[in-house]
Amino acid sequence: MTPSTLALLSLFVPLGAAVLLGLLGPLRRTGRPAAFVSVAGALVALAGAVAILAGGDAALKPGAHLVWGWLSAGPATAVGIHVDGTSAWMLLVVTLVATCVQIYSLGYLHDEPPAALGRYFTYQSLFLFAMNTLVLAPNLLQAFLGWELVGLVSYLLIGFYFRKPSAAKAAVKAFWVTKFADLGFLIGLVTLYAKTGAFEWTAVTPVAGFVTLMLFFAVMGKSAQFPLHIWLPDAMEGPTPVSALLHAATMVAAGVFLIVRAEPLFAQAPMTREIMAYVGGFTALFAACIAVVQTDIKKVLAYSTCSQLGYMVTALGAGDTFAGYFHLSTHAFFKALLFLGAGSLIHAVHSNELKDMGGLFKKMPFSGAVFIIGAVALAGVPPFAGFFSKDLILEAVEHHHLYVPLAALAIAAFLTAFYMTRTVMMALFGAPSHAAEHAHEPGIDMKLPLGVLALLAIVAGFGGSWLAGLTGHEYAFHFTLVGGAGTAIGLLGIATGFWMFGPAQGGAPIKRGMAPVGVFIRYGLMDRLSTVAYGLMLAVGAIIAWIDRYVIDGVMNWSGWILLVGGRRLRGLQTGNVQDYVYAVALGIVVLGAWGILR
Amino acid sequence: MTLDAYVLIAGFMFCIGLYGVLTRRNAIGILVSVELMVNAANINLAAFAHFGRGIDGQVLVLFTTALTVAEVVVGLALVLLLFRRRKDILVDLANGLKG
Repeated sequence: MTPSTLALLSLFVPLGAAVLLGLLGPLRRTGRPAAFVSVAGALVALAGAVAILAGGDAALKPGAHLVWGWLSAGPATAVGIHVDGTSAWMLLVVTLVATCVQIYSLGYLHDEPPAALGRYFTYQSLFLFAMNTLVLAPNLLQAFLGWELVGLVSYLLIGFYFRKPSAAKAAVKAFWVTKFADLGFLIGLVTLYAKTGAFEWTAVTPVAGFVTLMLFFAVMGKSAQFPLHIWLPDAMEGPTPVSALLHAATMVAAGVFLIVRAEPLFAQAPMTREIMAYVGGFTALFAACIAVVQTDIKKVLAYSTCSQLGYMVTALGAGDTFAGYFHLSTHAFFKALLFLGAGSLIHAVHSNELKDMGGLFKKMPFSGAVFIIGAVALAGVPPFAGFFSKDLILEAVEHHHLYVPLAALAIAAFLTAFYMTRTVMMALFGAPSHAAEHAHEPGIDMKLPLGVLALLAIVAGFGGSWLAGLTGHEYAFHFTLVGGAGTAIGLLGIATGFWMFGPAQGGAPIKRGMAPVGVFIRYGLMDRLSTVAYGLMLAVGAIIAWIDRYVIDGVMNWSGWILLVGGRRLRGLQTGNVQDYVYAVALGIVVLGAWGILR
Repeated sequence: MTLDAYVLIAGFMFCIGLYGVLTRRNAIGILVSVELMVNAANINLAAFAHFGRGIDGQVLVLFTTALTVAEVVVGLALVLLLFRRRKDILVDLANGLKG
């Protein structure tokens, strides 16, 4: 089969599963059988993605382009698929992580009532379709459709436990913030269409600077860049596998993918790229600082995701698309692994809090081991996946003389290694808590995805040159000073974490002298800055609401008022007296007669 | 008598009828006035038929007479309904369609 056919298969089989489960209520409410339908759909999609890449990159080099007209507005509004190296690899990452997460969910959500389980897997299938729509988009218009669809599914899945008020609130918050950012996407699209008459990301246009700036605003929302990151930590209210799939590996990376896709546009906008580098660098540092003081294992990983997305955005801002894309891929594997590993620990102790864990490595050696693999991959220890991509990013940023973001990234690299060591030490070693006494390993359905992802977290870094060839870039690993320094900083972070939280301290952190730093991070960065960011968003929202209420609605209300008053005046003509009408007729005859004579 | 005389008389009758329609408050008075206007037209038709060629005008007079009968029937029925409802037949008081 041709790449296009396989891509269509990967796109529409999950949609079929979602429609089947969505429309057939009785099937959905059976729970596990419904789950198997969804998993089967994901496996077919994965097989399609694997087959595309197995077909060799000869077919992918020019890129298979298959579009259909959609709106009657003309050829500009086309939907279809575009399969080249970039989208084929992203398709594989998405379907692979989604398949792992769906299989894992079979075990993780075992205790859910059947109807809720069926609903969960319906959303999962819908997510896969939405994400593939975005990944395979042939133009920015379809990318926008997929973009909005994944936002919707994210809302549904964060609010999966919708009876819990905090989950419902988090879902609404995520929806608001990302929707607010999506305004930028819409403005960018409209501007692009107005100037070029199409939605192509290959367009060459003088307004590229503005368009890319608007697109980047949307990316800030979706990929949780400061100050629009505020929804991501709250999104952890969803089930842990959802956090792994949507809020770590794939959906939040959609923003990065969009920038990679729209590279020709961004290449025309050096100003936007510079802004991206600084925003990304700041986010990487800021989120890493907050992650250090989190007590909830999922919140640590959530802020870590923010921070790593900051890395990718900085790399893209430095103009090195491949570095960002490579880190996106490796991050997808090891962060999904970390989240699923954390889910395994949470499942065992029934709590997200690090203090409820402790000493779990002895009880759960497999889960503990894969979590550690994910942690060292994230910390950038050679030869794990994160090392290669992080090295490449630091090199790219240094190469483009962006020294301020580089410094931010370097400090963030230290903090990343530090907080991951802290998390590992607090959760897996030290004295076990009461809940951790009875912890035990999960079943095979949860172990299998963990094993697959752990393997990828170890080896994915070595696929760098192959991936570069696939996407038409040049890359070969070589040692550089800045990359080596980055690794050394990471190892220093691990050592510091080991010193502060390691066995020598009996699992109890050193408090001496560090308390003011913690207080500053917790209240200064986390509460104050986040409140300011949220307030800013609400203020802009209030301005838009005012314009909507008093300008747009005002015009409508004013025209309605004119008609109302005019009608009230004119109704006096209808006296209801029959003789008045005869007068009007007689007068009309006279006027007509006069007109006939004098004409 | 010349054609002018007939047309003058008809015009005179029509004006009387119109005046009646516009000024009478009584619904039956209005109907009578309408009859005057119709018959003014009939006189015209008959006169033109007499002084012109053919019998077209006379045929039309028969038609209008038949039509007028029907019109009067409907008109009187309306007047009766109006009386039943309001206990009078003063049209200026029956202004329920006032806007």
